[in-house]
Amino acid sequence: MTQPAFAARVDRALADPDLKRAIERTTGTARSKRAAAVAAWPDFAAARELGRDIKDHVTANLDHYLLTFERNATAAGAIVHWARTAQEACDIVVGICKAAGAASVTRAKSMLGEEIGLPHALADAGIERVETDLAEHIIQLAGDPPSHIVWPALHKTREQVAALFRAHHHDPGALATVAAMVASARRELRRRFMAADVGISGANFLIADTGAVCTVTNEGNAELTTTPPRVHIVTAGIEKLVPSTAHAMSLLRLLVRSATGAEVTQYTTFHCGPRRPGDADGPTAFHIVLVDNGRSRMLAEGLAEMLRCLRCGACLNHCVVFRQIGGHAYGGTYPGPMGAVLTPVLDGLAGTQDLPHACTLNGQCQEVCPVAIPLPTLLRGWRERSWREGLEPGVVRGSLFAWRFLVLRPALYRPATALALRVMRLFARRGWIARMPLAGGWTRHRDLPSPARQTFMAQLRQRRPSA
Amino acid sequence: MSDARSTILTAIRATLRPDRAAADPAAIAAAAAGLLLRVPPLRPDRVRGAAAEAFLARVASPAVGASAERIVSLAGLPDAVRRYLAAHDLAASIALQPHPELCALDWSGIATHPRIDLDEPVAVGLALGGIAETGSLVFHSGPTAPTLFAFLPLHHIVAVAAERIWPWLEDYAAALATLPVPRNVNLVTGPSGTTDIEGTLVRGAHGPGHLHVVLVDPAYHPPASDAA
Ligand code: SF4
Repeated sequence: MTQPAFAARVDRALADPDLKRAIERTTGTARSKRAAAVAAWPDFAAARELGRDIKDHVTANLDHYLLTFERNATAAGAIVHWARTAQEACDIVVGICKAAGAASVTRAKSMLGEEIGLPHALADAGIERVETDLAEHIIQLAGDPPSHIVWPALHKTREQVAALFRAHHHDPGALATVAAMVASARRELRRRFMAADVGISGANFLIADTGAVCTVTNEGNAELTTTPPRVHIVTAGIEKLVPSTAHAMSLLRLLVRSATGAEVTQYTTFHCGPRRPGDADGPTAFHIVLVDNGRSRMLAEGLAEMLRCLRCGACLNHCVVFRQIGGHAYGGTYPGPMGAVLTPVLDGLAGTQDLPHACTLNGQCQEVCPVAIPLPTLLRGWRERSWREGLEPGVVRGSLFAWRFLVLRPALYRPATALALRVMRLFARRGWIARMPLAGGWTRHRDLPSPARQTFMAQLRQRRPSA
Repeated sequence: MSDARSTILTAIRATLRPDRAAADPAAIAAAAAGLLLRVPPLRPDRVRGAAAEAFLARVASPAVGASAERIVSLAGLPDAVRRYLAAHDLAASIALQPHPELCALDWSGIATHPRIDLDEPVAVGLALGGIAETGSLVFHSGPTAPTLFAFLPLHHIVAVAAERIWPWLEDYAAALATLPVPRNVNLVTGPSGTTDIEGTLVRGAHGPGHLHVVLVDPAYHPPASDAA
């Protein structure tokens, strides 16, 4: 990903009126429902500090909790695998599928699965993949990557979903309402659940003291994905650990309210090992793949706070940039503020250095983050590193040096800004600048307010003639 | 594979424990327990008064979206099911969770089967308990509690005993710590739903579209009209 690529993606996104409408419909609802849920919880601020402290406690003892989890999961009959990289994780999953003779796998939405490129790895191995989450089903039909971490099909309007279902479903019906679309997907996927050889899911929490894997979902597809097949594979980032079920409950309260504004998801499930003797259903083999993929490096390189992330999506819904450009423009698995912090870790800073710049530093994301991650600070950290590593383009570096030269010399700076004001006002019409040389990057998508008649310093001199 | 394991653990320890001191499990456990002490005063104000009352109110609230009723003993469950089937114009045929307490009831007039079908219209089950704070039902999988009963039917009717309603999520977690951990714990809160298309909530995604909770409460005094 090079700079023009990011700029081009942003241009394309801004030019798409359907996209803007689709983003606003979902994030608008999410923002107001979250606000109501938080307002109904007087001690939310204190709960958020507790959430932060639970995650920090786990991060500070990550080696201990990983080993405790591994021991307890293994005792419950799970097979625990470790993967350093995305490639290693995919190889493990594909290897398990092949060993099980799997022709078809069902998958319940998991951002980690997207992060490691599991859909591609399964396709390359010739294994049929059936996405069972409604949004993932939609984007699988459309051939799109996810555009939001909670609502992967957020970029699709209901009209576009209806068109997709009409083209692909066996028995779509009239599809006049969203409810009819949901019913059509239910009919379409029902049989696929039972036919799969392997079910793959992610994890919201890994419970160290029981060895269980917790998933939180609303549709019921996750349990229909993980229960009928012979094999259940969980892929989970190593940061998902919590000490106990009780600790998970505190984080659950924060996660669900921040994500959807509900108090709890419809289904909160703890998966612990394979089918027990006498059990009527459940997989006979249960695998857990613990994935590092840059996380131990984040710990070492000053990004430990990011390991708190619960993947709730609140920072996306409240980001003024995300709401304009949507998820695909970011070009990584994770969009929005949290994505702008994570993508340089996952894909390397060279080539993704534009993402930390796509931010106004207004602080909304940090304010709504349920585990108080200082996202603006982490983004500024990437900007500084990008500067140090010489990744900023020559024009930017040159302009900043010129600016520095001027501001350090007030006798030059004052007349220079006074002149700039006068020139800018030449282009203003009714208080706004719609077009001006060198300002195309700004004025292509919005107007620039006309500056004041005089500089701040000049106005100050007039008001305080004695000074 | 074990290579990956040691590489990851070594990298983590190099950051966390540069002095190569071993983790102290007792100190870590004490810190973890200390965090939990902060929970009770900051929970959302959800459970006042009797847990069973709060549970019922929560279950039937629009946020949870289930329906609920109360009976005095489990023997009354078949009648409650008959009423439900009639009210919803459903055939008198149910998948009955293979639990001995349910199988011992008098189901005359209703055809029951112990295995659940892919397109099962109605399943009747018994929850291990409930959580008042969230209006959640708790299921532990096992020989008499198949997981799929809570996910395949269109209508799920669930009996739960009033004395098994825990006030808060943490109270259930504490109870779990004293029980054998089952393969699956399912906390079920209302019928399934999705907001995946434009954020619009639709009930009944892949799981049940209707959830009916029957609280079995011996202390309950039904109004004279439905005492029959
Ligand atoms: S950074 Fe915070 S707000 Fe954003 S997804 Fe993660 S937990 Fe949620």
